[in-house]
Amino acid sequence: MSFDVFQREEAVIAQGRALLAAIADPATAAQYEELLKAYEKLSRTTRRLIKLSDRNEEQLNQLARTLNEKNATLETLSDKLSKYLSPQIYRSIFLGQHDDSLITRRKKLTVLFSDIKDFTETTEDLEPEDLAYHINTYLTEMSRIALAHGATIDKFIGDAIMMFFGDPESRGVKEDAAACLAMAIEMQHSARELRARMAASGFERPFQMRIGINTGYCNVGNFGSADRMDYTIIGSAVNLAARLQTHCDPDGILVSYETYVLVREMVDFEERKPVDLKGIRRKIKTFAVRSLNEPGPNAAHRLHCDQEGLKLSVDLAKMVGSARAEALHSLEGIVSRLRDLPEPASGGNAEPAVANSAMASAN
Amino acid sequence: MDPITIAKTARTPRVDFDFAKNQFVIAGESYPEDVSAFYGPLLQGISNFLDDLSNAEVSFRFELIYFNSSTAKIVMELFEALEEAAVSGNQVVITWVHEAGDDNIKELGEEFAEELNEAKFILEEIAI
Repeated sequence: MSFDVFQREEAVIAQGRALLAAIADPATAAQYEELLKAYEKLSRTTRRLIKLSDRNEEQLNQLARTLNEKNATLETLSDKLSKYLSPQIYRSIFLGQHDDSLITRRKKLTVLFSDIKDFTETTEDLEPEDLAYHINTYLTEMSRIALAHGATIDKFIGDAIMMFFGDPESRGVKEDAAACLAMAIEMQHSARELRARMAASGFERPFQMRIGINTGYCNVGNFGSADRMDYTIIGSAVNLAARLQTHCDPDGILVSYETYVLVREMVDFEERKPVDLKGIRRKIKTFAVRSLNEPGPNAAHRLHCDQEGLKLSVDLAKMVGSARAEALHSLEGIVSRLRDLPEPASGGNAEPAVANSAMASAN
Repeated sequence: MDPITIAKTARTPRVDFDFAKNQFVIAGESYPEDVSAFYGPLLQGISNFLDDLSNAEVSFRFELIYFNSSTAKIVMELFEALEEAAVSGNQVVITWVHEAGDDNIKELGEEFAEELNEAKFILEEIAI
């Protein structure tokens, strides 16, 4: 006899039927039969409920398995998709913070363009497989550095990279520019190492990178159509960064005045002759990073102070002879005036007490 | 009786019935496609074993993580068979194991135990 989950109940019912047959009094038998039928009905109801519950649980389990499979598929897909997007944009999309309408806004960003000098000529003798290997190695390394510094990688255009700082996350305009320059310097350091490796592997004309940086207002947001869009930036500030890069020395970094004033304390710059750039009417003041020494050893000879009411920049390497004496004299004059400066009586601004001549000397 | 040992599958639990030592374990998830086919021989085996038992110590561990309604009915049958064995004078200990934080399994065990009078019931929490 096969096993029945309700065999105990069935046994009780069989026992009840046997008892019913033995009851002689018709009235008592009728009452007993009514109770027995109620028990049988209860047993059937329980059986049906358990069957229904099992079926529902089975469907729920199936649904959970399907959901798990779909989640795994989505995870794989989103992992692949993430490689096509800047991490910041990817994160904001997956946190539900990203607006997919064609809306843009103006923001002050620091934009960087880099490319490889004479890329086509440099690589024309390379087999496609070797070219793909070298360019991917180069772009992978540059991307790693960019992400470590918090850059938003806008796009790769062949051998060129377009990146910016200040959106979707910003640490402040000055801090964004500083982060961009620090990143550019590390990129050039790394490019130098890559070049050595390429040369050692037999590549006759290793890559030389040029970098242009500009800070300015850009339109940032979704550009394109409602069906296919890019989260990117446009504006003259972007064009200027791209043009600067074309004027940059190989292995160099060229920045605009707007970026220079934000980062001039970081490294030595050499002012270049203002240049005419295609598409930009005014002459552009440009500054080339003279020594790629940040965070190199030479950074130690610079002192900076930037706080409310006080901006100071000292190049200790230049503090020799009369320059040092004059600087000390100017600073002592400033310190003396500051010491004697009376506190304002009721929170108003004190009278400007620092002589223009002293400030001029300090600068 | 020969011991019954069944390895767990995705839908059925591990079963370890050691009739020589009076120790029984059901552990894992339980939602068999055919609950009668899986549990019928087990229930039959332990019922026959308990019927013949006297003045013995019996230990039954339930280490279920998840089970469906039909399995719940089987568990209640097992509780009843064990309670009857306890009423017959055997020392029966039922240990109900639940993972820390799994209040559902814990409460089910407590509810099943409400029908016990003679068998001893122990709740055992284990870390996940």
